Amino acid sequence: MSDKEEREISRIKEVESTNLARDDIRELVIETKKAVEKDNDLLANRVHRNFLDNNIKSFDIVGAIGAGKTALLEKIAEKLTPKFRMLVICGDITTRVDADRIEKYNAETIQINTGRECALNAYHIHQIIKNKDLQNYDVIFIENVGNLICPSEFVLGTDKRIIVVSITEGEWVVEKHPMLFKKSDIAVINKIDLKERLGTNVEKMIADAKKINPEIEVITTSAKTGENIDKLMELIGF
Amino acid sequence: MKEELTKIEEIIVNPTGIKISNIQELMETFFVKLKNRVDNYIGDYPTFIEPVYLEDNVKIGDDVLLGPNVYVGANSEIPDYVEISNTIIFDNVKIGENFKLENCIVAKNSSFNFKNLNLKNSVLIGVANLKNELQTIGF
Repeated sequence: MSDKEEREISRIKEVESTNLARDDIRELVIETKKAVEKDNDLLANRVHRNFLDNNIKSFDIVGAIGAGKTALLEKIAEKLTPKFRMLVICGDITTRVDADRIEKYNAETIQINTGRECALNAYHIHQIIKNKDLQNYDVIFIENVGNLICPSEFVLGTDKRIIVVSITEGEWVVEKHPMLFKKSDIAVINKIDLKERLGTNVEKMIADAKKINPEIEVITTSAKTGENIDKLMELIGF
Repeated sequence: MKEELTKIEEIIVNPTGIKISNIQELMETFFVKLKNRVDNYIGDYPTFIEPVYLEDNVKIGDDVLLGPNVYVGANSEIPDYVEISNTIIFDNVKIGENFKLENCIVAKNSSFNFKNLNLKNSVLIGVANLKNELQTIGF
């Protein structure tokens, strides 16, 4: 076995042993996990205060890979950048494909490549804004790493969290991922232009989102055709 | 970008003549011009917050966070659990595991063969096998 394989096996064992913590260290593992979440929340509060102090509207966009987060951000940037100074922070395991797409619509972008991490956290955002003069921005979007699980653990300090799912993910996608819907303010059900062809039960998706989180605003969109993008803009206050 | 880098290197080779204001100003200018280049390293999956510029043959360990505003010179080694932001590391540098550097400059050919260091606003120079052997100049 090569050194690289050996290291990978050690890493997996380490992670597994933490998950299946022995009785004698289980309490320590739980306390550490709580401390990590508390630290993230404190930092997120600081980030949010910085945004508010500079009159910046801020949004965290979460959703699976391929749901249409970047396509929606392209539409949003197209509408906002003629009037507002927009910064988009893009989270991905690797590449700056999304940042390059959004930059074409005159938004400033910063890419975070998270490597092994499956979500952005408040520390990432704090590291970016400590170097920025926030007076140069009116609105900040943070496009989280594409998945519907990990981002629920970490708030980022934005005004609102927008969850994006597409009808190509199937009508069960909402009920299978309750935590992120519970912790989001707006649910966007995207790719509605494919409804007839796919026969997805969109009404069920809307009802599931409302059942999980009665406060959540739900909207159907098509980033491709532009359907309901204006309504989405209204929902986010523009 | 290279112009500022050369000036910074010239200043830190003569540690007694370091003017703090000069370094801070040069670093700020350098970071404004810093581009992103992260597709050429040797290692697994670090976290990068752009801009991060890696020269050739940079080795990076596990659980490493680089950026924003990090330049790493050729043949330098960044081992496991390191976190670096707003920092310039010149060529042929080896730092220790679990180093946290913020707003620092590490001189060419430096080698720090110990673990655990948390340092801000400093120039690090030379070879140190123990923490108390480390030569730093604050700025």
